[in-house]
Amino acid sequence: MELREFFDIDAVSLDVRGETKDDILKELIALLKLDDKSEGILFKMLKRRENLGSTGIGRGIAIPHCRSLVVNKLRVAFGRRADGVEYNAIDNQPVHNFFLIVAPPLEVSNQYLPVLGKLAQFAKDPEITRRLAELNSPEEFLSLLEEKAK
Amino acid sequence: MHPQLELLLQIQDLKAQRRELSESGGGRALEEQEFNIDLDEAVTQLDARIEELKQELPPQVRSRVERFVETGGRPVVSVINGICYGCFTAVSTSSVADISRNDALNYCENCGRFLYVIPG
Repeated sequence: MELREFFDIDAVSLDVRGETKDDILKELIALLKLDDKSEGILFKMLKRRENLGSTGIGRGIAIPHCRSLVVNKLRVAFGRRADGVEYNAIDNQPVHNFFLIVAPPLEVSNQYLPVLGKLAQFAKDPEITRRLAELNSPEEFLSLLEEKAK
Repeated sequence: MHPQLELLLQIQDLKAQRRELSESGGGRALEEQEFNIDLDEAVTQLDARIEELKQELPPQVRSRVERFVETGGRPVVSVINGICYGCFTAVSTSSVADISRNDALNYCENCGRFLYVIPG
């Protein structure tokens, strides 16, 4: 399983502008292009997950995630913000890079947890923070995934 | 979307989250190791929120939900291409009002589960 195959180029933004955690979550959700009601439900679920414990895993990276019936297959998005945002991350540092993962409650292919685990591993690569900061286009992001998360 | 359907979706999504945190499979370990989550506290919080949301449902809807919970089933299922994903039979369009907009609270005539059509 390669992470690259789950990312649609339209769901990658290197210029998210939200100034708060909530704003960022809404921008990430918008990248999935759902209807308004589904976006609202998804936002509530992601907030609920964040209330259980921040998904900011350190090194400037957060992986907000949840399961929801509003999607019928695994959906992922990536957002980058040049200036970090306060996210209550594990290392108390601002977060610049956001990977959103949403899956239906039941998946035939059972991809949610493997993708979540693989992204968590990807985030631990010592080069990743710098490489993500240097990206100039969504295409370069996809290439980085191909290179680092085979 | 019908407000009670929205509540039902939230309840079911929270239950999915709870299941992930309480079962001994990969989700529990991942949340604990990578995200440092306090699992017991998280499950307690989720249970409380699920109960709060259930209390917002009218008694007849709540009792239908409880019926499925008792048997370990999902009270809300998606409809994809006209098929109920609870019992995998075709949903009768004649008996289901405005199903595609999720504006009414509909249930499958075969299995009794509430139906949700994923937009798009």
